[in-house]
Amino acid sequence: MVVDDHPMWREGVARDLGERGLEVVATASDGAAAVRIAPAVRPDVVLMDLRMPQLDGAEATAAILAALPGTRILILSASAEQGDVLGAVRAGASGYLVKSAQVAELVDAVERTAAGQAVFGPELAGLVLGEFRRREQAARDSSGPAEPAVTPRETEVLRLVAKGLTARRIADRLGLSHRTVENHVQNVLRKLQLTNRVELARYAIEQGLDADS
Amino acid sequence: MSTPDAPGTTEAAAPGPVVRRGATVDVGAAVAPLWRGLVAFRVVALAYAVVNVVRDVGLYARPALGIAVLAFMAVWTLVTSVAYLRGARRLAVVDLVVTVLTTMSTLVVDDPARIAAGGPVITTVWSAGAVLAVAIAYGIRPAVGAVAVSVGALWITRRALDAALLSDAQLLLVAGVAVGFAAVAMRRSARRLQEAIATEAAAAERERLARDIHDGVLQVLGLMRRRGPALGDPELVRAAAEQEVSLRRLITRGPVGLDGPDDEAVDLGAALGAALPARAVLAAPPDPVCVRSGLARPLLAAVREAAANADAHAGTDSGLWVLLEDEGDAVTISVRDDGPGIPAGRLEDAAAQGHLGIVSSIRGRLGELGGTAELVTAPDEGVEWELRVPRRDGEGAGR
Repeated sequence: MVVDDHPMWREGVARDLGERGLEVVATASDGAAAVRIAPAVRPDVVLMDLRMPQLDGAEATAAILAALPGTRILILSASAEQGDVLGAVRAGASGYLVKSAQVAELVDAVERTAAGQAVFGPELAGLVLGEFRRREQAARDSSGPAEPAVTPRETEVLRLVAKGLTARRIADRLGLSHRTVENHVQNVLRKLQLTNRVELARYAIEQGLDADS
Repeated sequence: MSTPDAPGTTEAAAPGPVVRRGATVDVGAAVAPLWRGLVAFRVVALAYAVVNVVRDVGLYARPALGIAVLAFMAVWTLVTSVAYLRGARRLAVVDLVVTVLTTMSTLVVDDPARIAAGGPVITTVWSAGAVLAVAIAYGIRPAVGAVAVSVGALWITRRALDAALLSDAQLLLVAGVAVGFAAVAMRRSARRLQEAIATEAAAAERERLARDIHDGVLQVLGLMRRRGPALGDPELVRAAAEQEVSLRRLITRGPVGLDGPDDEAVDLGAALGAALPARAVLAAPPDPVCVRSGLARPLLAAVREAAANADAHAGTDSGLWVLLEDEGDAVTISVRDDGPGIPAGRLEDAAAQGHLGIVSSIRGRLGELGGTAELVTAPDEGVEWELRVPRRDGEGAGR
């Protein structure tokens, strides 16, 4: 499903994906339309623009995930508005790609998103690193309830992603398996998405159970 | 000193088409408190005139006419009060003429001998209301003119240039100038506020439009870049790609000025965006990373050297990644390429031969800033610089 307010772009992306053997089940011209259509077509992956009239990408992401929790959302944005990108990822999007990405990159990103992987480029890694540093600082300043922080290993992985290394290269460099690197990235995304108390509590319990087992 | 409004506008009119969005300021309404004050003054002055007429009516040459003039003053007070409170400030001139004539009616109402002996005019202090109305409506200079007209009427009525007349003239002048000045000041500040609001609204509107336009341009440039192979003009596609990247960096990070004094804060993210070639992938925190200009300049020079070195050794087709990190008390910039890297021993050879070139230059720059420059390289692993500089003591985390 392709959500974008620029018709030329929307149709172009839909055609490209169709030509590469991916089925485009629906297109929508803004976030509100996407939220209305999604339950009817139940897409595996939603390609979501950020800046749109009615409902923006982050709000639409949250609304679609609330209705269809299994959906994977990949942000495809032109303007790389930092706050918007982080907002959408916090709302549950599992990846971010700039619009200028080549068709092959796009198709690959959609396939990886469908497979449950995070599409996590250097730019997003830089934003996420900065966001966690900011949280750390804020927690130190206010001594409020600590939000989940990234582990040193996760920070290491994030930094390498931000420096443009592929998952395979990162695995080689840190002596980890490819799968472990993917897991680290997934965990970072999940921690970023834990924003409300319920999720925090669930996260805490899970961590506790993990420690016991 | 007076502030005549554009012809054809009235105080009650809408505040013009300048402001299209957001709050508006009614310049006319700015002097509303003065009009209310004038109305109160008029009512009190009318009561005083009533007392005066009731006391003297037996001495008037034409008592009935005196009562009629008093009744007219009451009606006129009511009419002008309602009109002024509704914003009809142009009535002030008519008000002045009517008031002067009413004052001069003393000549036919009262006994000429009483007037000559210094008796009060029938309007008493009520006549000052019209001068104040002109002052509020038109400002200081017209107010002075109204004072002159009023004093002239008093003189014609009483035919004496005595102390009483001079005292009246003084009081009228002081009151007229003071009220006129207040009206001008109140209008001016309201107008400034209105201008400020209009400017702000226009800027916001421009920004919104610019964002839309930029978004559209980015879409098209992105589309060109993506459809590149099909377009069959690699030069055009490359140009589109470069423009897309620089426009995107400008929008995301804002413009940057590095020429300011050493202590001026500079956003390193924006500065990097402007300094790096289009193919570089820039990863940076969401918030600006501010350091002083004196630190940013040599740091960016080092980054540019590292990037130029990557161009020279890995080629302009190689990947180039730059990561900016804000650690609070220090800032780290990593520059990495995916070229062939520097074989082990090459650096040591160069050092032994005495020409270290770029490596020592970058290390030197960072050393002067009290920072470090780490070089990590291996064959087929590209070259990676990690430049770390401490912020000076007392320099905030830049948020």
